[in-house]
Amino acid sequence: MAISFEHVTYTYQAGTPMANTALTDISFAVPDHGYLAIIGHTGSGKSTLIQELNALLKPTAGTVHIDDFTITPKTTNADLKPLRQHVGMVFQFPESQLFEETIRKDIAFGPQNFGMSEADANQLADEMLAMVGLDSSYAERSPFELSGGQMRRVAIAGVLAMRPQVLVLDEPTAGLDPRGREEMMALFERLHREQGLTIVLVTHQMEDVAQYAEQVAVMRQGRLVKFGTPQEVFQDPDWLRANQLDVPRATRFAQALATKGIQWDQLPLTAEQLADQLAARWPQRGSGDV
Amino acid sequence: MANIIEVAHLSYRYRNGEHDAAQRPALNDVSFTVQGGEWLAIVGHNGSGKSTLAKSLDGLLPFTEGTITVGGIKLTPETVWQVREKIGMIFQNPDNQFVGATVEDDVAFGLENRQIARADMVPRVQAAIEEVGMTEFAHREPSSLSGGQKQRVALAGIVAIAPDILILDEATSMLDPQGRRDMLDLVRQLRTDQHLTVISITHDIDEAANADRVLVIDDGRLVEEADPATIFAQGERLVQLGLDLPFTSKLQAALRQRGITPPDGYLTTAEMEAWLWQSLSNT
Repeated sequence: MAISFEHVTYTYQAGTPMANTALTDISFAVPDHGYLAIIGHTGSGKSTLIQELNALLKPTAGTVHIDDFTITPKTTNADLKPLRQHVGMVFQFPESQLFEETIRKDIAFGPQNFGMSEADANQLADEMLAMVGLDSSYAERSPFELSGGQMRRVAIAGVLAMRPQVLVLDEPTAGLDPRGREEMMALFERLHREQGLTIVLVTHQMEDVAQYAEQVAVMRQGRLVKFGTPQEVFQDPDWLRANQLDVPRATRFAQALATKGIQWDQLPLTAEQLADQLAARWPQRGSGDV
Repeated sequence: MANIIEVAHLSYRYRNGEHDAAQRPALNDVSFTVQGGEWLAIVGHNGSGKSTLAKSLDGLLPFTEGTITVGGIKLTPETVWQVREKIGMIFQNPDNQFVGATVEDDVAFGLENRQIARADMVPRVQAAIEEVGMTEFAHREPSSLSGGQKQRVALAGIVAIAPDILILDEATSMLDPQGRRDMLDLVRQLRTDQHLTVISITHDIDEAANADRVLVIDDGRLVEEADPATIFAQGERLVQLGLDLPFTSKLQAALRQRGITPPDGYLTTAEMEAWLWQSLSNT
């Protein structure tokens, strides 16, 4: 297992009158090289949950396993440096964390901080730049001359330069235009498929969940209320809507057709799946004319 | 109806960058008009110049060439405050536009700025907060609200000052899908109740679908102007222009690949449903 949570509870300011439990008794597992999407309404505990993944927050009770690492309430910060290299975190609007004079220096900063020589770190920076789809002419430019979408790529290159095995993404496409969103999601898919990275994606974009995720965790009020494949989780649109969550467009569309009397074996999640199901029941040519 | 906004031969060049790319005009000879009461969507990909255009209308950027006339007033450094009286603007990130410690204070801010007497201010603030459905949050801190609630408060601030024009500068792009739909419903309602002209700068296809007319900006130029159905019928070109494909277009394409021939052109969701239902029941 790449990730497993065993009865994880997290309480902010535990033991004080301000104590506020943000996660309650969370258990789940993600296999090696898995792709997990976490969905849930604002304030449902998604952000707290992902901060457990590299022990920015340590559980108040329970155990988190990330590959060979184990995090318990007793884990000390001294043990965490290799974990932080192992789990790359891309927070919301990561471009706001850029600070260096040149793009190359910004990407090379993390590896140098972890002891890599300047020459090696610079070479790695150039590789990562190519990986996020920016050519070498960008290396000497200031990150602040770039468009928002390009700045975000540079910030992600900086995280990838740490060679993480688990990549945690908190709404990585917020504010990008549709083409930028698609390119960004394709980049993560490539890292997942070609380099075997385990991906954890926090998102409101149900289309992305349907298209990319292998598992979905649904959070509500600090609890894990559903866990399964996208196909399983999206079979109950009414339940999701009652939890203020959306379903993919194709699922919504199929549900509207269902109210007209069209029966579905399985609600489709994408336009392709919907078209497959429609084609399978389509009247044969000629026989449909009345 | 008369034109409430007239833009003629507008050009703008950012001057802060040393790099060559920064010297390309952000807006290049853009001309268009907006009718009173119209909902106009301005679409384009990131960096196309659409936000520059929105900021120019409110006098936030000093344009280099061309003229902008709002409600019969030509925008100049001398008239900029008169023009801003007529325009309410909402930006992408709600956290960047709060000044008040509570929702109520924040909504009152615009009125205080206009030196409205307290006796008038109190009912106007309350009415505005009620109009956007945030009454129970009136004494809350804005930072404790969700993104969608924050944008509602921003809308209440605009309702309170009752401008003629509402400009939404990617105002729904940071909201979750439900928050986005709620906000668009609210804008539709405000448009009727307050007789607003709405200009929405967006790359959200559902938001553009609300408009009477869509302007497409690419590379600082106005490249197209049509009703949403005409724009949406363009298929893959929409992606180049910075919009997503409507769901019905994706489904039409997927069906064609499977040997099924749906009607050509843009179909609304209801039209697509009706056509599928009819085809499937014809057995």
